[in-house]
Amino acid sequence: MAQTTFDGSPVGVLEALRQLRRQAASYQGIWSWIATVDHKRIGIMYGITAFLFFLAGGVEALAIRLQLARPGAQVLDQEVYNQMFTMHGTTMIFLVVMPLSAAFFNLIVPLQIGARDVAFPRLNAFSYWTFLMGGIFLYSSIFFGGAPNGGWFGYAPLTEKAFNPGHGIDFWALGLQILGISSLASGFNFIVTILNMRAPGMSLLRMPVFTWMTLVTSFLIIFAMPVLAVGLFELSFDRLFGANFFNPLKGGTPLLWQHLFWLFGHPEVYILILPAMGIVSEVLPTFARKPLFGYPFVVFSGIAIAFMSFGVWVHHMYTTGLGPVANSAFGVSTILIAVPTGVKIFNWLGTLWGGDIRFKTPLLFALGFITMFVVGGLTGVTHSMVPSDYQQQDTYYVVAHFHQVLFGGAIFALFAGIYYWFPKFTGKLLDERLGQLHFWLMLIGFNVTFQPMMILGLLGMPRRIQTYPTGMGWDLWNMIATVGAFLIALSVLVFIINVIITARRGQRAGADPWDGRTLEWSIPSPVPPYNFARIPLVRARDDFWHQKYREDEAGRPIPVVAGGAHQEHEEEHAQHIHMPSPSFFPLIAAMGFPIIAYGFVLADYALVAAGAVVLLFGIYGWALEPASE
Amino acid sequence: MRGLKSAVRYARLLLPLLAAALLSGCNVAIDTPQNTFAPVGEVARDQRHLFFLAMWPAVVILVLVWGALLFALVRYRHRPGNPPPRQVHGHQTLEIAWTLAPLALLLGLAGPMIGMIIEQADRPSPEENPLQVRVIGQQWVWRFQYPQYTDSQGRPLEMVGRGTEPAELHLPPNRKIDLAIESIDVIHSFWAPRLGGKMDAIPGRVNHLWLVAEQPGEYGGQCAEFCGLAHADMRMRVIVHDSQESFDAWAREQLARQGQQAAR
Amino acid sequence: MAQRTHAVEHLETSTGLDNRKLAMWLFLASEALFFGSLIATYLLYRGQSTEGPYPSDVFNIPFTSVSSFILLMSSTTMALAVGAAHRGRLHQMRTWLLCTALLGISFLAGQAFEFTEFVHKGLTLSTNLFGSSFYLLTGFHGAHVSVGVLILLSLWVMALRGRIGQHNALNVELAGLYWHFVDIVWILIFTLVYLLDPLAEGR
Repeated sequence: MAQTTFDGSPVGVLEALRQLRRQAASYQGIWSWIATVDHKRIGIMYGITAFLFFLAGGVEALAIRLQLARPGAQVLDQEVYNQMFTMHGTTMIFLVVMPLSAAFFNLIVPLQIGARDVAFPRLNAFSYWTFLMGGIFLYSSIFFGGAPNGGWFGYAPLTEKAFNPGHGIDFWALGLQILGISSLASGFNFIVTILNMRAPGMSLLRMPVFTWMTLVTSFLIIFAMPVLAVGLFELSFDRLFGANFFNPLKGGTPLLWQHLFWLFGHPEVYILILPAMGIVSEVLPTFARKPLFGYPFVVFSGIAIAFMSFGVWVHHMYTTGLGPVANSAFGVSTILIAVPTGVKIFNWLGTLWGGDIRFKTPLLFALGFITMFVVGGLTGVTHSMVPSDYQQQDTYYVVAHFHQVLFGGAIFALFAGIYYWFPKFTGKLLDERLGQLHFWLMLIGFNVTFQPMMILGLLGMPRRIQTYPTGMGWDLWNMIATVGAFLIALSVLVFIINVIITARRGQRAGADPWDGRTLEWSIPSPVPPYNFARIPLVRARDDFWHQKYREDEAGRPIPVVAGGAHQEHEEEHAQHIHMPSPSFFPLIAAMGFPIIAYGFVLADYALVAAGAVVLLFGIYGWALEPASE
Repeated sequence: MRGLKSAVRYARLLLPLLAAALLSGCNVAIDTPQNTFAPVGEVARDQRHLFFLAMWPAVVILVLVWGALLFALVRYRHRPGNPPPRQVHGHQTLEIAWTLAPLALLLGLAGPMIGMIIEQADRPSPEENPLQVRVIGQQWVWRFQYPQYTDSQGRPLEMVGRGTEPAELHLPPNRKIDLAIESIDVIHSFWAPRLGGKMDAIPGRVNHLWLVAEQPGEYGGQCAEFCGLAHADMRMRVIVHDSQESFDAWAREQLARQGQQAAR
Repeated sequence: MAQRTHAVEHLETSTGLDNRKLAMWLFLASEALFFGSLIATYLLYRGQSTEGPYPSDVFNIPFTSVSSFILLMSSTTMALAVGAAHRGRLHQMRTWLLCTALLGISFLAGQAFEFTEFVHKGLTLSTNLFGSSFYLLTGFHGAHVSVGVLILLSLWVMALRGRIGQHNALNVELAGLYWHFVDIVWILIFTLVYLLDPLAEGR
């Protein structure tokens, strides 16, 4: 370690930071991770952090299932149960699926478009640290009198001070604000990256579908998040400063919260699922050894879904009594959003059709996505039918439906992505046999858990009840669902073992273990810091495939001699690439947010001021330091 | 062709399994208190009908998609010596077909859906002589008032839950029930599944819902919108009388008891 | 082959738009949804207050018109600052930057005075729906103006130290984009909140 002198003065702080920064540029040691602005390292940190939150959310799910396994159980009391399902939903959406998707945006997008980093590397680090701070802040509520207990949807007026005097909801509302800042920052960053940082020749309609879905998702984020922010501000102002936004006694309407929340909340569903669809659209062609069927239709259906997702929010509010006109209009718009979703599924089938399908673990998870997501989509059609939904709204049928979409869909696809791209960033292939065991256990566990919930819902079991009496016809199905939840837990354990074993003695992967199609497979594994020694010149969609294969008259690929990944002379060339320097200021700026938020929760405005100073110090340091030195 | 045969063999194995799963899922019209598949009134029956109207095409599509997927996986699985696959990029006619066909099917569902939305939003007219019930949600009991049945002081007949003891909603058979649903604190949702779908009880507004009970008996119901600590305890018993007369008799008796309690 | 190729900064972008400018436009698009939701809340609750004071009881339209005019003028000075920066007239640029910041501060002072007046007349955040939605909307706008003033003053100080010139006039341009956006939002707020409201209520 170099000597870092530190005398406590602001100048001393800056000088110490400058020295640490130079050390961090060596790409070695813990400081090089903390100060990193490398999109790959940020992606890995996103992934690991989100996976740890996935374990936390999973433990919460197991606790919920234990409580519900038998009628009249008292494993969790009512208050703890309410905290559990609130944290389970909030965690899985904001701390697992969104950041896991962000991990893939970071890891994959710059490589797929032939860039050396994202447009704003330090902003990218800021996104990660803000996400981490938001997650820690949210979970720290446990030490301030209990976790949030108002559901992930936080319906007012139940979340108003009058009915919920503890600090939990304040932590929830401010925690989501912090996480929203993180998402917004990465949204801006990835739109600019994708629009502006493409390698020469990488026109929009040559971009890989995952990159396309990242672009669409980022647009959804920047338009949906501010609406949630306003809703959360109104709730926080009600709670902290006695405003009246959701106070019926002063003429306020609780429905305003629902409109704002779901105007954000439904695009949010597609923020969660579109990246997953992008991953599947990458995995299927690789393992079928065929290009994606109907590429433009897959891309444009994704865009169509994004537009339509802003026009369906009232389907979360069919039973609030908005009247037949609103219900009919939103019923029809909700039905119609199934069309572009169906187009995607048919095109995936078309991709597999006529292929040469190799059943590796990534493909299995992608197939798991398709089979389960179809069920989720079709059950969605059944409760887009408004009067039918009067029965299903807020029952386990809906719980089953969105787990089909978000677990059977998003989580399966994210695991497909993990198995697919793991070798690219570690240089090692995850064990295939354990991978297959993981897949089958998870698929079986998933179905054993969630298909009974469909029946439970139709048998009249509402969501979010802490217990139920016997004699409702629910006992058996609940017990089965609980058994399934533990099967899922077992499958996750298999995955963890797989990662540990692979880290110790995994099979080395070359640059291109799957015979891939897109640019990320053209560079060494693990990827060097500068990604591309030479910025590629893109001549076609699936450019890397076309470097390796040409087509005969029948349209069958013939290997090109000397095609494929080329690494000779690259190291020498790479020495002259100048990368942006590491920086501590994104982390410092991000630390300001939780301090400000604690200040507001505890009504300690000195703390708010202190947090603001930290934030400003981070931002000014960031603005004034050179991006590279 | 061997691939095709084995695919058919797989499908033959799978279809009965699917059918069994569906039957166990859908034919559970068993007599449990909150089974939405065992309606005892027009509204719940229509809603189940609409559910099936959407579900059966969904099941057919599911079987087709899964079948096609399974076929493709078996038929086009990698075998040593396979020639590399032809690089097909798409098919415009197919794309148009699988955009328009679901669109037509889904729009076909929209008609019956809108019809039923309007029908079920239509409050019973006075000529239909509906029974008025005022439903008040509060943490964590239901309160049912019958404004057409008042005691000597003009107070309506009222049924309230106490603690975890659910409130009783007594109803006459074969008469439209006109419910006015409100809340005095947070949002609740009134739901008696065997009579019909739910309607939220929202502070600051009155929502309307109508139901009919055609079959005497006792059924369950409970709050369907998360309303805080004891949300799970906010249940109700729905008691449908044999006849209007027995309902009236119950109402008279209840009013008398209510008067005695007020006097005490 | 031995020349230094910079990783990020100096590559030409695919669209030809500067990265930071594109990011600023996206940020403003996102902000539009933010203020859109705040304005929607205000309009939804317009005339729904169950008790006073009502808008017509507290609004001082001539006063707010003057402060609105001040903010509008600051857009002009901002445009002049951006123009001067691009032409490399640094002295002018510094002057116009400072003018813009001072006009912004005057507007904020006006808002502070207005809020104090309203509180004296009994309108607080918790009085009624009007108070809640009015203070939230105009308060967040004021916060945006404050951030803008901070940016302008920072640029001014940096310019004094010679760190802003023609080569990085983009910094001034980006601040200008933000500043104009905040002004446009105020025009909307002034119209919808101050001018429309008393007319609609006819009190």
